[in-house]
Amino acid sequence: MDDDELVARIAAGDDTALRELFGRHASWLAVRLRSMLPAADVEDVLQETFLAAWRGACGYRPHGACGGWLWGIARRQAALLLRRRGPADQAAAVLSAGQAADPPDLTPGADPAEIALARAELAAAVAALGPDGSPEREVWRLMYEQDRPVAEVAELLGVPPGTVKSRAHRARRLLRAALHVAEGGTR
Amino acid sequence: MNGLRDDGPPDVDLSRVWTSVAAQVWRRRPGWLERTATRLLRSPGLARALLTTPSLLLPWLIASIVVLAAGAAATLNSGQPMVALLAPAVAAAAIAYSYGPGIDPAWELSCSMAVSDRMVLLVRALAVFAVNAAFGLAASAVSAALGSPAHSATAAASGAAAAVTFGWLIPMTAVCGFALAVATLARSANAGAAAGVAAWLITVLSGRVASGHFAAAVTDTVLFLPYLAIGAVCAAVALFATRIPRGTYR
Amino acid sequence: MNVEIADLTRRFGRNQAVAGVDLQAGPGVFGLLGPNGAGKTTLLRMMATVIPPTAGRLRLLDRDPGAYGPRREIRRRLGYLPQNLGYYPGFTVVEFVEYFALLKEMPAARVPAAVAAAVERVDLGGRARAKLRTLSGGMLRRVGIAQAIVNEPELLLLDEPTAGLDPEQRVAFRALLRDLGQRATVVVSTHLVEDVGAACSEVALMDAGKIVFQGTPAELTARGTEQGTGDAPLERGYTAVLAAARS
Repeated sequence: MDDDELVARIAAGDDTALRELFGRHASWLAVRLRSMLPAADVEDVLQETFLAAWRGACGYRPHGACGGWLWGIARRQAALLLRRRGPADQAAAVLSAGQAADPPDLTPGADPAEIALARAELAAAVAALGPDGSPEREVWRLMYEQDRPVAEVAELLGVPPGTVKSRAHRARRLLRAALHVAEGGTR
Repeated sequence: MNGLRDDGPPDVDLSRVWTSVAAQVWRRRPGWLERTATRLLRSPGLARALLTTPSLLLPWLIASIVVLAAGAAATLNSGQPMVALLAPAVAAAAIAYSYGPGIDPAWELSCSMAVSDRMVLLVRALAVFAVNAAFGLAASAVSAALGSPAHSATAAASGAAAAVTFGWLIPMTAVCGFALAVATLARSANAGAAAGVAAWLITVLSGRVASGHFAAAVTDTVLFLPYLAIGAVCAAVALFATRIPRGTYR
Repeated sequence: MNVEIADLTRRFGRNQAVAGVDLQAGPGVFGLLGPNGAGKTTLLRMMATVIPPTAGRLRLLDRDPGAYGPRREIRRRLGYLPQNLGYYPGFTVVEFVEYFALLKEMPAARVPAAVAAAVERVDLGGRARAKLRTLSGGMLRRVGIAQAIVNEPELLLLDEPTAGLDPEQRVAFRALLRDLGQRATVVVSTHLVEDVGAACSEVALMDAGKIVFQGTPAELTARGTEQGTGDAPLERGYTAVLAAARS
């Protein structure tokens, strides 16, 4: 039974379908949340996420992107949690989620909780490019984080410019796929 | 616990998360009747035990109403106080079926519960009696109101009419007490119900034989004191018989 | 010591079902073995405060079950699975477990989580809202175990708990027993000797109302080296002790 059918059955009040959905998705949701929040908060957010899924399943339109739907709920619940905690915790979350080298770019009026989440998502998506030192990671670091031109990157890495371009293309593709899950696209 | 959920981050307990989700999804939300009973009895377990009494469940209640309504109709047609004659028998059967052994499949387990089986029996018996009395009174009042021209013609004093309309409550107490005593002694609800109905039948018939009309069993005020005495003795017997909870075997 | 029994006797008419039993049990899993009619069920029923003893001393969870108040306190901390547990066919699994959680006077706020935990622990999470009349015998037995553990009892009494369970479920059940035995006193009455060997830290063997052996499963096995009959070592010890007691 695929995920869309499960959610349809949840909407009809079938609790075993919710249990099955939990079995399929709770682990990866927990892993992703864990990169942003401490363990106790992850448990709270997961609980609220699946309860919200139980209550809101009728609003789900089947489009094969159940994972994205769940992640959307999880993000909102995480934001709610951070908002409830108050400004001090939110600032801590922002600092811990971002990379130490980057200056915080809080535009006035921006929601610290949302920023913390966005940064954590980006960090997780970059991690999806591969381990530190892998070709795509290096290209990403040099071309996009440090904003160097293709020729310079090619020289630093000791590879032809064509290779740099194809690695950059692959990196963009991987990043798009990783971020798409976060935004509710196909898993 | 199946292994579907042990591959998340090591410090996140996914089975605990699922348990908290399941607790909310599976929980039963009691209705207003149960909430009221909980407040009155100060015990959610006792309230739940009361509302799951077999003779207080909807099918039984509907059957009782049907029987008494038929009695009221028969009263209007025949002039015999059928409601007064039926109500005690209906109540006796209902009370017997509030007793555990024989009808409660989990009786042995109930005897080990903090909410004691005796407390449950007491609350159930009182509730069943009250409900049946209320039904009987309603049926009686309806038939009295609808048939009042006939009654006022035959019954000179309103006392006689009142005796027929309400006086059956006293024999009902006796019959219910008897049914419950037999049920607790024999450790069987069926035995209690049968005994109660049979005893009432015999009482009504012997009243007929003795004084010529069926209603003698309920209208003869001389009998009231003996009825109450029987009721009291039977209640004491039931109390004694439930002193030590007995199982369905040995 | 959660269970202290001294010279306990129970008579039904002229029949002495339990004839002078001495027993002490603290936290851990305690096995009660013996043939049918040995008095195991009667002993368990007395420990579950279902019937009072005819003579002798019984102390449960440091309280005297003869008085109403302490008996109620014992029952709140007790879990009991009778040998023949009937079910309310129209109830669901969750409703059944919740009913007895309430009758054990658990605080109402804690009941939903405790019920969910108990149902998942016996691996019936996928049937939580199924009506009891749709369940198999083994599943019904597991529902019975769930109601017994729902209040996290300090004294857990199980009479033939593995009846109807398949071997895989029995293994899972024994693991559950060991887990529960860490904090509570678990008394398991069974005639399946292998259940005892795997899960129990101490074993008592009853025959004709008396305890004829008390010790570890290893000690019971040791008794069977020469005389006993049976396929497994523990079985041989069992039959050896019974034969010696009857001769």
